[in-house]
Amino acid sequence: MIKPESLYSRYAVNDLVRNKGVNAALLVILVLSAFLMATGAMVIERLAGSVGQLFAQAQPPHFLQMHKGDYDERALEQFAADRPEIDAWLIEEMLGYDSASLAWVRPATGESGDLTESLIDNLFVTQNEEFDFLIDESGQIAQPAQGAVYAPVAYQQKFGLEAGDELTVRTDDGPYALRIEGFVRDSQMASSLSSSTRFLVSAEDFDGLESAGGASPEIIAEYRLTDAGGASDFQAAYESDPALPTNGPAVTDQQIRIIHTISDGLVALALVFVSLLLIVIALLNLRFVIRGTLEDEVREIGAMKAVGLPDKAITGLYLSKYSVMTLVACVLGGLLAVVATNLLTRSVQVNYAEAPLGVATFLVPVLALAAVYVIVVAICRRVLGAVRKIEVVNALVHGSTLDEKQAARRAKRQARWVRRTSLTSSAGDINLRLALLDLRAEGGQWVLVPVVFFLTAVLITLPTNVLSTFESPRIVTYMGAPETDLRADVQYQEDVDGVQEALVAAMRGDERLTDVSTYANLQYQVEGEEGPEILRVEIGDYSGATVRFTDGGAPEAGQIALSALNADKYGVATGDELTIRRDGEQVTVQVSGVYQDVTATGYTAKMQGEVSQGAEAYVVYAAVAEGVDPAVVAAGLGEQFPTTVVLPMREYVRDTFSNMTNAFRNAAWLSLVFGVGVAVLITSLFLKLRLTRDRSKMGVLTAVGFSASEIVAQVRIKTLVVVVAGTVLGVVFSATAGESLVGGLLALSGLGITQLSFIPQPWLVYVLYPLVLAGAGYLGVVLLTRGIRSADKSMWLK
Amino acid sequence: MTMGDFMPNQGTVTLESRALTKTYFSTDPPTQVLGGIDLTVREGEFVVIMGASGSGKSTLLYSISGMDRPTSGNVLLEGRELTSLDDAEMAGVRLTRMGFVFQQAHFLSNLDVRDNILLPALKAAPKEKDAAIARVDALMERFGIAHVKDHGITQVSGGQLQRASICRALAGEPSILFADEPTGALNSSMSEEVMNALTDVHSDGTTVVMVTHDPGCAVRGDRVIYLRDGLLVDSRELGTWSAEQATQREDDLLAWLRDLGF
Repeated sequence: MIKPESLYSRYAVNDLVRNKGVNAALLVILVLSAFLMATGAMVIERLAGSVGQLFAQAQPPHFLQMHKGDYDERALEQFAADRPEIDAWLIEEMLGYDSASLAWVRPATGESGDLTESLIDNLFVTQNEEFDFLIDESGQIAQPAQGAVYAPVAYQQKFGLEAGDELTVRTDDGPYALRIEGFVRDSQMASSLSSSTRFLVSAEDFDGLESAGGASPEIIAEYRLTDAGGASDFQAAYESDPALPTNGPAVTDQQIRIIHTISDGLVALALVFVSLLLIVIALLNLRFVIRGTLEDEVREIGAMKAVGLPDKAITGLYLSKYSVMTLVACVLGGLLAVVATNLLTRSVQVNYAEAPLGVATFLVPVLALAAVYVIVVAICRRVLGAVRKIEVVNALVHGSTLDEKQAARRAKRQARWVRRTSLTSSAGDINLRLALLDLRAEGGQWVLVPVVFFLTAVLITLPTNVLSTFESPRIVTYMGAPETDLRADVQYQEDVDGVQEALVAAMRGDERLTDVSTYANLQYQVEGEEGPEILRVEIGDYSGATVRFTDGGAPEAGQIALSALNADKYGVATGDELTIRRDGEQVTVQVSGVYQDVTATGYTAKMQGEVSQGAEAYVVYAAVAEGVDPAVVAAGLGEQFPTTVVLPMREYVRDTFSNMTNAFRNAAWLSLVFGVGVAVLITSLFLKLRLTRDRSKMGVLTAVGFSASEIVAQVRIKTLVVVVAGTVLGVVFSATAGESLVGGLLALSGLGITQLSFIPQPWLVYVLYPLVLAGAGYLGVVLLTRGIRSADKSMWLK
Repeated sequence: MTMGDFMPNQGTVTLESRALTKTYFSTDPPTQVLGGIDLTVREGEFVVIMGASGSGKSTLLYSISGMDRPTSGNVLLEGRELTSLDDAEMAGVRLTRMGFVFQQAHFLSNLDVRDNILLPALKAAPKEKDAAIARVDALMERFGIAHVKDHGITQVSGGQLQRASICRALAGEPSILFADEPTGALNSSMSEEVMNALTDVHSDGTTVVMVTHDPGCAVRGDRVIYLRDGLLVDSRELGTWSAEQATQREDDLLAWLRDLGF
């Protein structure tokens, strides 16, 4: 007796050989789905593992407050003594240098360079004793010897630094040389969204650098709490104490984790998103192929039923093939995913830590792949349920998968349809008319193509729209800043007022610059839920249309505009009042409007006025005259005012969002390549099956005098219409609902953006991409219709 | 009678094949279906092709009608060589000079019966729509299917569909009509309807070439040719059809066919 298993496998093998093209295309789509799903899952697991591992090794603080200038150490001690929730705390002293002060030379080869390209603060520190350790490449707490320095791993990658290189720090006493002993991972500042990075030196060298002068001293007050979940409450308590140092950014470990996840988790999320779309596409395809197969093989199925094979056995015959195919796809996809994950997580592993291999490392991708397998096989089983409904006589005699009732329903439907349409009611080319009539009548059977192109268009345009939005200089309107050419930050230094005054004077005297405007950052206190909190307010002239408001407008005297996150935090809207306090003086201001801001963790405010003394920091904006390169002006000013960061606006934007845009650039490229590949593949697969099914129709047309070229033209018209329809809908969806979708996700992420409006590159998104997609569809139809011309037409009617 | 050229003695030649062969190379070894056929069809003649299953009847029909390309040999329609025409030219010939009726009534399911019939006429002369509609309506009236003109093709009987096929074949006013087992899928009463219609067409002067294995249908022809293993082995003149002599003609034909081993 023949075992059913061997029958199944023989059937599966025969079918695979007979329908090579269709099966290969299906397999490719399934492999891609499995590959992307497994890669997304593995990247997320690796990333979480790396971050978790680094956090475990480095023990970052649960709350930290940066500060420049004088501070009251006793107030900090008192605060710590009063707070039982503090497990440990420390004050980390740091020496800050701008990047131009650092240079390197490789003694072995004489190669050299500086770190000017880096726009972030370089802070020299000694190793902490209790927590917040800087971790070397082997996962150990680095302990530099005298004369040695550990540089950040990010710089190792960015500047190609090597252990053994000599790092020179420009001090007031001249160059201070250190030998790079290794590289350190920094749990607080690992993300490139971080605005500073730390170098580790010995206590002796720290003293040496300090006494040599030229550095701006900073501190971080860091706290480990007994309950990490209480960091936000702790922050509120800290900020309500006016004696504590507060002029720099304050960060909780939750925020650090969010930043890590946003900057490096986006690629993983994009992969999962793409894979979900692909799975939908794969399932639509499978449904189409299985239904087609059942129609093609209905007589064989009828015969199997006639000889007494149970439905389950017949279903098993087909299901075994798709199960094996899905299993193979999952295995192949999983193997490819291992390679891809290693490539994708290389920088994560370097920046954070080698993620330990655990049960989850294997379980996560296996579960992801198992989910793909179960979903695909379940859907196949469901579609194959149609076998049960096939009636022996209808199958054998009429070759129909429909029973009497279904056939009658279809006939009625068709009759209704033909009564409504007429070949003679419209004019124009007969081929075009026939193609459109066909499409209208058989729309349901063609729906796979527009759906695939819709999803592909979304897949391609959405990441591109996000990318162009975050790359556009106009994104500054989401940063609570005006659209201008140049930005100078005067902050974290002893004589902020003096430097600001000199800078503004220099800028006003510079003929290349116009519209120089100064905004001062002042700290106010405001009553929060847990007591007084710090409100950072920027004071300047907002009378011109400098900042875009999502609600209300610019503040006038006695008014305040709040960032979206602050408005939400204090539960106020335009027209409401807010009481603020500074230097013991209390005023009640009216909220004039709400704007979006991603800077300073999104919690900012703006008031109309002019302040040139006593501010914590200043930002000076200026426009450049026609034909002037903002980069040249910025470089000149930067040299003239070494403690001031002067940047062309475009560079400032790029720098702020660099990790985000990098992630989206990768996602956009990945989507484009996969999308176009999938589009060609699906169009070809669909047409291959469609043309087989339409052979009799093509035979009729041939017999009544249509040439092969005309039949090909009809197929191409139909394909292009559905391709274009799907693509257009996809682009429209991406520009409307897609915008809301991304906006919603960003709003949830707490970045400070509540209403995202895409800033698309119209030519790319609305012209080039749709053309590329339509081209991909056209390529598929050209490939598949090539054979029509040389086909034996008489066979179509047999 | 020789195995050479099977041709009647009088009238203008409409269709001619010379040394026509057809080999299918997709099988292993290749299968030769037609082994060199010389055939002449005169204007207004009704030629019936008979033979056992697999003798090459349909292949011959498709090869001489330009639906399929022969492996070698020539086909001439009204003196014009068909085998050298390109696809578009051949499509033009099918559109304006030929009509087809198949065993299965192949129709476009998205069009009603009349639009299906109109299709070739509209394609041939798009600007003469009204004339085409009038002609098609008259044809449908003549063949008794006017009442189903706006029906879907799944709503009419097999006999009506085959008569619609004949209407479609005639809509372009062809000089020759090819029919491949036109009654093969029909019961006897529907077969009668269809054969009456084809006889009617032929009586109007249209040249008809029909493949059939049914002597009851073949008897309608003026001449029957017989194929065996891809070769034309014999031919028999039946003379002009008359219903009164139907039984006599059928007996004669059956006797001849029996002699050929049918």
